[in-house]
Amino acid sequence: MALVSGPGRGGSGGGHTLPEELHLYIDKHVHYIQTLDTRKDEYEYWLTEHLRLNGLYWGLTALHLLGRPDVLKREEVLDFVFSCMHEDGGFGAAPGHDAHMLYTASAVQILATLDAFGDLETRVCGGRMRIGQFIASLQDRKTGTIHGDKYGEPDTRFIACAFMALSLLCLLPIINVPLSIRYIQSCANPDGGYGSSPGAESHSGQIFACLSALSIANALRTVNTDRLAGWLSERQITSGPGVGGLNGRPEKKEDVCYSWWVLSSLAMLSRRHWVDGEALKRFILSCQDEVNGGISDRPGDMVDVFHTVFGVAGLSLLGYEGLEEVDPVYCMPRSITRRILGK
Amino acid sequence: MEREGDGEKERKSIAEYRALLDQVNTKVEEKQYSEEVLALTSRLLKKNPEYYTIWNYRRLILLNHFARDVTTTLEHDSTPLTLSKSTNDIIVGDLQFIVPLLIQYPKCYWIWNYRLWLLEEAEKQVDKGTTVRLWKDELALVGKMLDRDERNFHGWGYRRNIVSQLERLAEPEQKTMAEQEFAYTSKMMRAALQNFSALHYRLKLIPKLLDERQADGAARRKMLDEELESMQEALIDPFNQSAWFYHQYLMSTLSEDCPRDAAIVLDLSRDDRIHYYEQEVERIKEMLEDFDDCKWIYEALVQYSIEYHQLTDIKPKNDLQFWLDELQRLDPMRSGRWKDLREALKL
Repeated sequence: MALVSGPGRGGSGGGHTLPEELHLYIDKHVHYIQTLDTRKDEYEYWLTEHLRLNGLYWGLTALHLLGRPDVLKREEVLDFVFSCMHEDGGFGAAPGHDAHMLYTASAVQILATLDAFGDLETRVCGGRMRIGQFIASLQDRKTGTIHGDKYGEPDTRFIACAFMALSLLCLLPIINVPLSIRYIQSCANPDGGYGSSPGAESHSGQIFACLSALSIANALRTVNTDRLAGWLSERQITSGPGVGGLNGRPEKKEDVCYSWWVLSSLAMLSRRHWVDGEALKRFILSCQDEVNGGISDRPGDMVDVFHTVFGVAGLSLLGYEGLEEVDPVYCMPRSITRRILGK
Repeated sequence: MEREGDGEKERKSIAEYRALLDQVNTKVEEKQYSEEVLALTSRLLKKNPEYYTIWNYRRLILLNHFARDVTTTLEHDSTPLTLSKSTNDIIVGDLQFIVPLLIQYPKCYWIWNYRLWLLEEAEKQVDKGTTVRLWKDELALVGKMLDRDERNFHGWGYRRNIVSQLERLAEPEQKTMAEQEFAYTSKMMRAALQNFSALHYRLKLIPKLLDERQADGAARRKMLDEELESMQEALIDPFNQSAWFYHQYLMSTLSEDCPRDAAIVLDLSRDDRIHYYEQEVERIKEMLEDFDDCKWIYEALVQYSIEYHQLTDIKPKNDLQFWLDELQRLDPMRSGRWKDLREALKL
């Protein structure tokens, strides 16, 4: 699955007039995702190889939420995922790319979605534990922070990656969970939000990561809920061309991916209704390329699979008819996390 | 990204890119950590700075050189497996190579990470004076990056990192950089009052700065007063949400629960707290005279009044009711929030 953007643009920027009644072009999006990997004649296909495993997770998740889980061939997907795995249990973005937490989390999410932990053990002896140990090796046992790779910077995003992957593998206890939770708490700001490291400014992407990790560890009680949910609700743009859309920080532009980071955060805090769901729906739908499929960051820009999955996941959280329910903690189909986690 | 260009050009770009990639992969697999391969990774990274594995190759080449340099410099080891330049030249050359990439791709995590890694490794190779000079140059660089985009959170994070490195390397009697950094946030605020990134950094610096100044109670109050005053000035435009969030930050330091390392005034009495709330609520109410259609004013009034009444036990239900009505009228998209608030307040 490549991350080639375009060919189309979302919404009115593509030169089309938006219809009065917006709706989700499910078949178009399915086709868009399905054909992404055939675009090897585009330079960008090759330039985005460092995102391929993430791209596969985004595409697969979008297809599941769109109600077409069988569009990608299971065996082919698994062949690709395992071709990205390293001896040490980590996964790279594509074959020959170094192992990193970002891709390891995507790999585990794909395996979970395809109910393929059995395949993991068949194909890689002790595979589950090997992945767990790769992740555990990246935890700083003094501070609780988690690194992206052996060279890597600490970032609260990687705590979420680790917690998601380990909990899906039923291996969360192999790391020091309370220590990482304390690290997250040290990243909290007076606005209730969280940054990438202690002292860093609150950012909706990092907030999603921290709330996801706190949810998995059952530690949401440490959150300044009303303060944070208030800040998150202020991410919704109330006037101008981006009306209804959400931004990532004060005074920044709206972007469809924040439909996910902000809305899922509000959902985890049971405050989803603190933004205008109908207006957000309209904003996401206005970012579709209604001819070739795909969703862009905002109307007029190129579509890509990243914004497609987060747009669809946002619509799912808003209860859009015909979509599978999404899990706000994992950004995976809820039916799958329920099957694995038993809750 | 060129999309509508002719197909021939695109095919050529792909072929060149893949050939270069194959070449790099083969040579790194053969452990050829030479200048030639370093130059090849440079070419590749200029085409694609997001290719994190190639940055890792660069790390391997440099680490290999550093490891050999220490043991074999005197033997004039000139095998193609090492770099012939001096360690210093390599570090400086690499830092220079990255600058245009950083300017072109200021949001690419991998570039920032690699640069930080390089500087940390450099410290093991050069003397302390050189290390300090390198980090100081970084402060100038990140200053330029933040001039180009004053909200780039990579830049702000990098800046905090450099400052902590320089403070770590400082002589024991030297002061921290809090004073200088505080002045930097003032400069950034003058440039743009909506710069929440600068305001955020500023609030984190103030407690440190006051400790270092060994500020007494009066000096601490003066700091809080001046900051509140400057936000009143910023709120001449009451739609400036950054100023409101900073105001909220400042007010949060009044709380009894405010941790010591985040506090501005350390000896606030209950009366002090009441005074600050009354003063700020009064000032904000005055804004209504010119801007009765700005929801931020009502939001602040509601929040501070709730906090004030937790201090005093006086409940001005009429005001709260009116302000919440105005919020509902002016900001209907968040009506779920106002409804919850109304219920929580039993209004």
